[in-house]
Amino acid sequence: MIVTKSWLNNFIDLSEVSNETLYETLNSIGLEVDSITAHTIPEKIVIGKVLSCEKHPDADKLNVCQIDIGSGIRQIVCGAANVVDAQYVAVATIGAKLGEDFEIKHAKLRGVESEGMVCSASELGLPNIGEGIMILDESIGELIIGKNINEYEKIADTVIEIELTANRGDCLSVYGVARDLSAALNTPLKNLDYESQNTEKVGLARVAKLTVDGQIDASLQYAMANMKALHTSLLFSLRLAFINEFKEDDLANILKYITHTTGTILRAYDVSDIDLENDEKLIINAENQNGIINISINNKPSSQVGINQIEATKANEKSSKVLFETSYMRPTLLVDLVADNKLETDELYYNASRGSEPNLYMGINYLTYLFETYNECKLFDGTISVGEELEAKTITISTKEICQLIGNDIHKTEIMNILTALGCTVQSSVEEKFGVTIPSFRHDIENIQDITEEIVRILGINNIEAKPLTFTEVPRTNTTMQKYYAKKELRARATAASFDESVSYAFADKTLLEKYGFPLVKEELDIINPITADFNTLRTTILINLLQAVQRNVSYSRKSVALFEIGTIFNENREEKEMFSLVYSGQAQTEYVENSGKPNPINFDTFVRKLSSIIGNFELRASVQENALIHPYQSADIIVDGAICGFLTKVHPTVTDAFDIIETFVAEIDFNALLPKHINAHPISKFQGVYKDLSLVIDKNLSYTHLDTTIKGLNLPLLTKYYPVDIYEDESLAGQKSLTLRLFIQSLERTLNDKDIDSTVNAIIDTLQSEYGASLR
Amino acid sequence: MENLEEKIKQADSLDALGKVRIELFGKKGAMATEFAKLKDVPGPEKKAFAEGLNRNKAHLQKIFDECYETLKKKEIEDLLKTEAIDVSLYNNLNQKGALHPVMETMDKIIDYFVALNFSIEDGPKVEDDFHNFEALNLPKNHPARDMQDTFFCKDGAVLRTHTSPVQIRTMLKQKPPIRMIAPGAVFRKDYDITHTPMFHQVEGLVVEGKGEVSFANLKSIMSDFLQHMFGEVEVRFRPSFFPFTEPSAEVDISCIFCQGEGCRVCSHTGWLEVLGCGIVDPNVFDAVKYKNVSGYAFGLGVERFAMLLHKIPDLRMLFEGDTRLLEQFR
Repeated sequence: MIVTKSWLNNFIDLSEVSNETLYETLNSIGLEVDSITAHTIPEKIVIGKVLSCEKHPDADKLNVCQIDIGSGIRQIVCGAANVVDAQYVAVATIGAKLGEDFEIKHAKLRGVESEGMVCSASELGLPNIGEGIMILDESIGELIIGKNINEYEKIADTVIEIELTANRGDCLSVYGVARDLSAALNTPLKNLDYESQNTEKVGLARVAKLTVDGQIDASLQYAMANMKALHTSLLFSLRLAFINEFKEDDLANILKYITHTTGTILRAYDVSDIDLENDEKLIINAENQNGIINISINNKPSSQVGINQIEATKANEKSSKVLFETSYMRPTLLVDLVADNKLETDELYYNASRGSEPNLYMGINYLTYLFETYNECKLFDGTISVGEELEAKTITISTKEICQLIGNDIHKTEIMNILTALGCTVQSSVEEKFGVTIPSFRHDIENIQDITEEIVRILGINNIEAKPLTFTEVPRTNTTMQKYYAKKELRARATAASFDESVSYAFADKTLLEKYGFPLVKEELDIINPITADFNTLRTTILINLLQAVQRNVSYSRKSVALFEIGTIFNENREEKEMFSLVYSGQAQTEYVENSGKPNPINFDTFVRKLSSIIGNFELRASVQENALIHPYQSADIIVDGAICGFLTKVHPTVTDAFDIIETFVAEIDFNALLPKHINAHPISKFQGVYKDLSLVIDKNLSYTHLDTTIKGLNLPLLTKYYPVDIYEDESLAGQKSLTLRLFIQSLERTLNDKDIDSTVNAIIDTLQSEYGASLR
Repeated sequence: MENLEEKIKQADSLDALGKVRIELFGKKGAMATEFAKLKDVPGPEKKAFAEGLNRNKAHLQKIFDECYETLKKKEIEDLLKTEAIDVSLYNNLNQKGALHPVMETMDKIIDYFVALNFSIEDGPKVEDDFHNFEALNLPKNHPARDMQDTFFCKDGAVLRTHTSPVQIRTMLKQKPPIRMIAPGAVFRKDYDITHTPMFHQVEGLVVEGKGEVSFANLKSIMSDFLQHMFGEVEVRFRPSFFPFTEPSAEVDISCIFCQGEGCRVCSHTGWLEVLGCGIVDPNVFDAVKYKNVSGYAFGLGVERFAMLLHKIPDLRMLFEGDTRLLEQFR
């Protein structure tokens, strides 16, 4: 919503109010100022009267004008065609500066002396209002030859752009903003009281009839005029240009001007072809069709109230007879009608749906005033109207409750004064509770909290004293909080292991997910309106996002990229799961002296160790994953507490090729599997233990997992721990390999003897021999 | 004697000194030879002779010990010299990864509220119309729905456009009093230099008995919170509109880049808009069937906080895993 200071001045006296105060007041009452621009016209630009205008002897397009600028008559050469129609113009006299490098000087144009320049609006820093120079008229005030243009506040105006919140349809007009300001500044609002003086002798009711089919939940008022030449004055042109609504059609300009000024929805229908001489009558019919109010004029469908108008029925500056309609429909009704019936709307709908001015007469009255004052159009006497009586809402409020909501003591009189200033009718009462009748233009006020907001607004939030809340102590740790802290801890460990934290969109490219063998969210559950093709579905893995991030980093010449992300993924059924995903790509170390600037690329060993330093202990088993990132010989499922919770893999070379990156490892793990677990301590032995190494010759392809599972299954009480320490293969072993296990044998109860040790070792050898044909080396 | 002393002093290594030790103090060494003479010394002189010998031996021992100490020290020093490292080669190893600035900012926000007895709550990213809109006083066709460009799914579900639905879920699940925050990702169909289709919010809600929670309380905690986050800043409240709060306010801080003088970041206003808040609208309480309660709610964008706090120039960069940005936070 754009207003100008001089425009507001039509309704509220702002002559004593500085731009700064205006800015602060608007902000403090919730009309957020997006920008405020004070236009100033440079010095030495004055009003001049064109005394004569002749063609330049040597240039077709130039005119030589004699212009009275108060201090004398100047000869000025002007290139604008419209100067011939001009009487009063803005003249930049010698010495005027129109820009940093543009000072008006004596000049000779094709041999003719020129002492100044006739200015266009844009040359004065104003918005463009059409071709040629700016022709001045009395709409900006009395034209005094020689007076500085900057002294005309309607030209050197302050333009204020307000970002209106969705509830404040009442401020979608200059009048509405002035009304709110009047309450805030405690300055009276000037209403437009105009008595029509210049009407056609014929009353409108005699030539037009309004008929209604069904219940009409809207109000409508009509006026009609015989049109003569219309004219958009300089003031209107400028103001419309300030709000970016200046059009070529004079009638369109006037309609826009009225709606922007008063907030009423105003439409104009071309009824030029009706022959009143022959006693023809204009029949306007309003019909309720499932709530939509269809207007037809002489049986011709013409518009839907508040929604749209059929193009062919629109009047323009050439129409000789025009029917004007102001309308109001409750915005809540309107938005449902439009959405439910998927109706096309025009630009007036925006105002209508946010709450236009319900006082229809204001629009008609303003129209009458403008036509009779500035144009030669005659209106038919009177108006015809139909409509629902808007029932005034009365809300009972209590001073105590308002004070409780605000948290400060505010006197009842102050509350009553603010509400009165805002246009409410306050029922005086000695009681603590009292009734407040809400003006119809504030459809958004419905309850005591809405009223409290009004009080807060006008009082100014910055004038409310802050007070800490006394609250009820309740223990508030819950699983979400525990998860948050577990996540925080995990993130800290991941960064300690030199991974950077990444955050990426929870979207993915369907084709990429498919290409790399990840599931897709079912078609019938997927997003309808994705933002781009790259993000056309919900992601089912974070790894693609991470690989893309690696690719980007590599393109910035990074040689080593380690990233992790904890984020949401979705499965086919769109169920959400939080995953902890990691990528490590490129060099395993930074380049430095120790590795002579040639560090090795990341390998399986380094990657798993880093992972273990982050998530603790896990087992690895041959992977059952089926996605295309999997390297068949360097991949594994990650097992925590006996259950698969994720996987890790060296990224398949075809994939690293596709991403144009080098050796890369990834892991993706269900975050919930990594939550801290309750731990019970084991007893600690006071007795000496012994290490024993056991070298076994086994089949070359036998995975350690099998031996591990078997040994675990033996449940040997003295076997405290065991782990592989060496693997050896050579030709002499012929298809077999030697695996050395280191055992640690210890008892909780006593010092071990040889028999104890032997029985444990032998149990292992015997079992492995019978199950896997293992032999001692 | 002097001869022996010289011998000790001439030893230039611990090895050489070891040899001298045997020569002097060994079983067949010089001192032993001297002491052997004792048996030939006549009785009356024996005592004086023995004393003289002991004195000499002690003197030599002392010299020996001193030399030993010196040589030992030298040997260690030589050893240390061989282990010399130019430590400055190890400057700025950059081994630790970085927390993402948005997440780190979120941590800082959460820390503040947890310390004030707020619980942390969460909810699904894919929401239904009721929780994301309807219950928050955003009925169908409400113009305020236009404020949030929504991602829709084919079955009518939406990607949550704010963390506010967690308010509704928490109120339905728990009973007042409630003090909660809901941090998390939200989604809006908007993608340009200042908007990303996903970003993070932290929502807050406090519910106590009727008449307990006031706008003055909200003002107090929001001012304090913003000073916790941004340091000594001025805090300004402007009335605004959110469907789920009434009265509502937008909160600004004095620009931290120009100290309120006016600069490009604050569009020359001297103020930065940082959060929205208000007293919970009665329609929201009606939607969850709460009676006789009062409360306040607030919501903020974490990316905006992070960008302001760390002077991060580009929003979209935050979502690209760009290590040129991230490594600055190590």
